[in-house]
Amino acid sequence: MKRVFSSVTDGRGFDLVLVGVPFTFLLALAGLPLLYNILMSFQEVDMFSLASVIRPFVGFKNYVDLFTEPETISILKNTVIFVVGSIAGQFLVGFSLALFFWINFPGASWLRGLFLVSWVMPGLVVGAIWNWILSGDFGVLNFLLQQTGLVGGNIFWRSDPNFSLWAVILANIWLGTSFNMILLATGLAAIPADLYEAAEMDGANAWQRFWTITLPMMRSTIGAIIALGLIFTLQQFDLFAAITDGGPNNSSNVAQYWAWDLSFRQYDFGKGATISVIMTVFVMFAATVYVRSTRHEVRG
Amino acid sequence: MGIRRTMISVALALASVSFAGISARAEDVKLVLWSLDRDIQPAPNLIKEFNAQNNGIQIEYRQLQFDDVVSEAMRAYSTGKAPDIIAIDNPNHAMFASRKAFLDLTDMILQSKVIKPENYFPGPLKSVMWDNKYYGVPKATNTIALYYNKDLFKAAGLDPEKPPQTWTDLVATAKKLTNPSKNIYGITFSAKANEEGTFQFLPWAQMGGATYKSINSEGAVNALTTWKQMLDEKLASPDTLTRSQWDSTATFNAGNAAMAISGPWEIDRMLSDAKFQWGTALLPVPSEGAQRSSAMGDFNWAIFSSTKHPKEAFKALEFFASKDATMYKNFGQLPARSDIPVPPTGNALKDSALKTFVEQLKYAQPRGPSPEWPKISKAIQDAIQAALTGQMAPKAALDQAAAKIKSIDG
Repeated sequence: MKRVFSSVTDGRGFDLVLVGVPFTFLLALAGLPLLYNILMSFQEVDMFSLASVIRPFVGFKNYVDLFTEPETISILKNTVIFVVGSIAGQFLVGFSLALFFWINFPGASWLRGLFLVSWVMPGLVVGAIWNWILSGDFGVLNFLLQQTGLVGGNIFWRSDPNFSLWAVILANIWLGTSFNMILLATGLAAIPADLYEAAEMDGANAWQRFWTITLPMMRSTIGAIIALGLIFTLQQFDLFAAITDGGPNNSSNVAQYWAWDLSFRQYDFGKGATISVIMTVFVMFAATVYVRSTRHEVRG
Repeated sequence: MGIRRTMISVALALASVSFAGISARAEDVKLVLWSLDRDIQPAPNLIKEFNAQNNGIQIEYRQLQFDDVVSEAMRAYSTGKAPDIIAIDNPNHAMFASRKAFLDLTDMILQSKVIKPENYFPGPLKSVMWDNKYYGVPKATNTIALYYNKDLFKAAGLDPEKPPQTWTDLVATAKKLTNPSKNIYGITFSAKANEEGTFQFLPWAQMGGATYKSINSEGAVNALTTWKQMLDEKLASPDTLTRSQWDSTATFNAGNAAMAISGPWEIDRMLSDAKFQWGTALLPVPSEGAQRSSAMGDFNWAIFSSTKHPKEAFKALEFFASKDATMYKNFGQLPARSDIPVPPTGNALKDSALKTFVEQLKYAQPRGPSPEWPKISKAIQDAIQAALTGQMAPKAALDQAAAKIKSIDG
């Protein structure tokens, strides 16, 4: 008894406790729901069997049904465009801003902090505001574009199938840029200044310094921000609900919104779960790429 | 001083506990009721009145959010924790009734002196029925009709006392009223990709002689073609595709649309926001003399079949129904009753609008009823949006919807 006790306070048992606590936590709050979700995707689930675990097993029927629906391919395509477009936009604008504030003019850190306001705002509020900005007849964006002479007539950002997805991407870029900027700014601050001094003495110009010092030194930060960006964009739901509802004609529908629509509007929980499983596979793939790309990282 | 005050409050607390013990007698039957009504809406107020009768039945109220009603109710039912009474949105009624999650009230209604089927509008009544039996009682109802801006009618040289009667009329009128240079669209409505789109479109299809089971019949194709014409010719804003009814009608109130299709929930806001003369009319029909139809919204009362006190729960429904006559006066909602006239409100404009809606209610038809309504509705929304964006022809879009509905509905 005493041995067990001493092992727990100092020894192998202690290690097991250290591993066990987070493992139990993960299993209960992430693992089991994930497994339950996978189980649901192989069952026929409707509202009345929602509470039971034993339900009619349908094999791959949910998967087959989904991929025979005409909208599936276009929704998956939209999801890819949304993720790539949002991450690219957020990263480019965020990185440019981070570099801009890195110049460190008076009040730079102050202003940089203010940018976080957009990140603090709830998605539904952001969605409602962008809803007004993007509105076709009286939208602010259309007004600006027309005043500057960039477009001749109103563009119906929300209701034109050619633009609706980009309308949501635009709002999402605005929402995520500041978060990108802050993380990238901390990455920039961590680069030792003597590297630049040495490069300058060797006669490297600004462009060369950026390519050979800044970017390589930022590699892990950039990797992390893109991985986080992937997670955040795949979670993005509020903007769709507030701006387009996935319409018109599914032209701005993406996997995560579709999963919600199937589960909680059409009460087809099996199919909703199926989409979630497909999304999980995608995210795992991306996570693997991320882990592999940062594994052989050279630091310092 | 401090101690004394504490003593007094303890004494008061004890006294109130014992009072509560006296008023809630041991033999009281306790019912639980769920609805989404807020404090200024019927359910909580009717419950207060009901409980004040002290007739041995006490109702406990729980307020739900709109998006949660169905999912909360089904979770509760499948885990055996359902309330005794619930207010459910009418297109979801059949889903519960067909699974016998709601109690069959047919016998109790036939014996009831308060709730009589013949006193209700046919549309709302049909929505509580499944397999020719009554599984609930209509709580309130609403429908959609045409609002129009009389000032803009005059300005366009149209007779403000002659709103359009037929679809052709409506399109022609909208054309005359549309004025892009002044930012005025002829008409506004909602073709949004959610239940609102179905709610607005189905009456048009039904006027054309279609039902949701024959959504690709000629009348429905005509209806969708008419909608498409109004969007293609910019008689309605392209944002019709993504705007809710409430937001669409806001553009009417602002004078940016000359006509609007929406429901009686708009009246109060319109009275304060619209700075012009407006009127209401029944929904235009495909051709003169064609059958009328309209949408039917709002909630029904139902008793869960798992209740231990069906008689007491029905008594509560009878009490609620007995208060239908004052529903509009107290809560601004229309009772689903054809035997009760809506009392005059003292505002002529409001009264004449209400008259139109009550008339329109005679033709209101429920969505479904079908246990698979949400999926059917989705198929219809997809067809509307595919046609209006020009990605499919109306006929092809509705054919696709019909095939989907057939596979869902069996």
